[in-house]
Amino acid sequence: MATNRLGPAHWAMIAPTQALLVGVILIPSLYVFWLSLNKSSFGLTPSFVGLANYAEILGDPYFWRALKNTVIVVLVVVHLELLLALAAALLFAGGVPMRRVMIAIMLAPYAISEVSAVVMWRFMMDPQVGMVSRSLAFLGLPTLEWAVEPMHGLLLAGLLSVWLHLPFTFLIIYSARLALPGELYEAARIDGAGPWQQCRRITLPLLVPAILVAMLFRYVFAFRLFSEIWLITQGGPARQTEVLAVYLYLEAFRYNEFGIAAATGWIMVVASMVLAVYLYLEAFRYNEFGIAAATGWIMVVASMVLAIPYLRQMYKRMFAPDAS
Amino acid sequence: MKRPLPIRILRGLALALLIVWSAFPIVLVVASSFKPPRDIFVYPPRWLFEPTFDNYSGLVLRWPDFFRNLVNSAIVAIGATLVAVIASALAAYVYSRLRSTTLTLTAFFMIFIRLIPPIVITLPLFPVVNELALNDTHFILIALYATFFVSLGTLVLRAFVDQIPRELDEAAMVDGAGPFAVFRRVILPLCAQGMVAVGVFVLVYAWNEFLFAFIFTTTKAKTAPLTLSEMTGAVDGVEWGVLFAATTLQLAPIVAIVVAAQKYLIAGLTAGATKG
Repeated sequence: MATNRLGPAHWAMIAPTQALLVGVILIPSLYVFWLSLNKSSFGLTPSFVGLANYAEILGDPYFWRALKNTVIVVLVVVHLELLLALAAALLFAGGVPMRRVMIAIMLAPYAISEVSAVVMWRFMMDPQVGMVSRSLAFLGLPTLEWAVEPMHGLLLAGLLSVWLHLPFTFLIIYSARLALPGELYEAARIDGAGPWQQCRRITLPLLVPAILVAMLFRYVFAFRLFSEIWLITQGGPARQTEVLAVYLYLEAFRYNEFGIAAATGWIMVVASMVLAVYLYLEAFRYNEFGIAAATGWIMVVASMVLAIPYLRQMYKRMFAPDAS
Repeated sequence: MKRPLPIRILRGLALALLIVWSAFPIVLVVASSFKPPRDIFVYPPRWLFEPTFDNYSGLVLRWPDFFRNLVNSAIVAIGATLVAVIASALAAYVYSRLRSTTLTLTAFFMIFIRLIPPIVITLPLFPVVNELALNDTHFILIALYATFFVSLGTLVLRAFVDQIPRELDEAAMVDGAGPFAVFRRVILPLCAQGMVAVGVFVLVYAWNEFLFAFIFTTTKAKTAPLTLSEMTGAVDGVEWGVLFAATTLQLAPIVAIVVAAQKYLIAGLTAGATKG
């Protein structure tokens, strides 16, 4: 019997992957950490300042605005997207006509670059000539003044982000739904469960792990949001629509404050790790206990409740008589 | 089981909304790229019109570089895809078949490191890349894009390799095959589906990526999304027709690939997601 012993050949096989990760991500990010403890700019030798950069950031109102904007956008985008994806997945699992064509159409936005998506949405939403804006105005609804109103700019970036990433989230939940065994539903039907009960007692609880995986991906990725905001508002007007990644970019490449940018970077790293570890543990618990779905749903609902005040505030500002 | 009529109408409506939401922006831009400039902003939009290639000839005249940028995008995307798929497949084989504490630690590192946002590493890489004269080369973009996909690639492919019966590699090993021979003769042919899925993920990412291209390229290796963003920011007003023509050329090939590969994408995500 030949056994597969871990040998040098095996280490050589994981070497390319590990080398790329160490060389391109680990070493640079450790260097960023060192940089965040220094005062540094182009052509200057960095000088050690300890935690001064972190202190300066925490006193910078623009940082707090960027953080607040990031939190709002992430909460709204991720939860809106999960709800839409879940609804779409259940709809598709229930059977739709021309399934392959429909799925192909649902997937199409996944292939679109952020830049092209910005072109499309700017064209549709242009306050003067945009098709959607004109239709909204025709129906007597307010339009998005995204170039002037900071909240509108963020909302447009959020919509765009949902549009771009819905296919991915949909696919994760849809493929998890397809993997649920049909016997469960048969048994439920024999016991006299209606469609609504089947959905609430079987589908939703069993989909919790997949939803948490999708949530993990989307939280981590939404948190880095850069291109959408950058291409729509560049963080303006008056730095009001900056998110953390845009704040970092501007500090580094416009104001040449490398130390500040590096410290922002580490704050982002730590924040995404805390978030990811929490969600991962949550998902892991499910695999362990299988059916104990209640807490997961409490978490989903709680974070949605958290998002509602922001949505309301946004809504109020949009429709306030003095907004435009 | 037939659903009652009101439910069927509601489901049809929901499906229609989802389809319009997904397809409308794309269809609008592609259709507008074939409209004469004066028709682009006509409201309500005209869906029947005499198609024209004026916008495309305008693109050739005014942005001749755009086609070189498309070629750059293709080189970078294909390069990154090859590197990422090969590296992930090799690693996936080891992670699927062998266990050791060190190995588990490296696997954990592989996932954990991926949580670092890309923009964070642009900061230290920028001066180093300049120093090594790698700025504005295909090489740097290929390295960056491949790195940011080897973790996910390894995870997805590991799930595929797990499904290949171990008896097959053991039989090959009895015949005296070493790890590389087993990989090439047994594993590679049997996880082709997973490699296509991972390949499409990397291809889409590298073809469309904006941030790294924006920071690390200027002219020689400039990719198509960058030129598109320049067109939207043109100081003398945006030429929408030309911009739409360019957008259409940028999105058409990759949308076609994603649609053609949908079966593999679903298989890839199913394998990856059920593993957690």
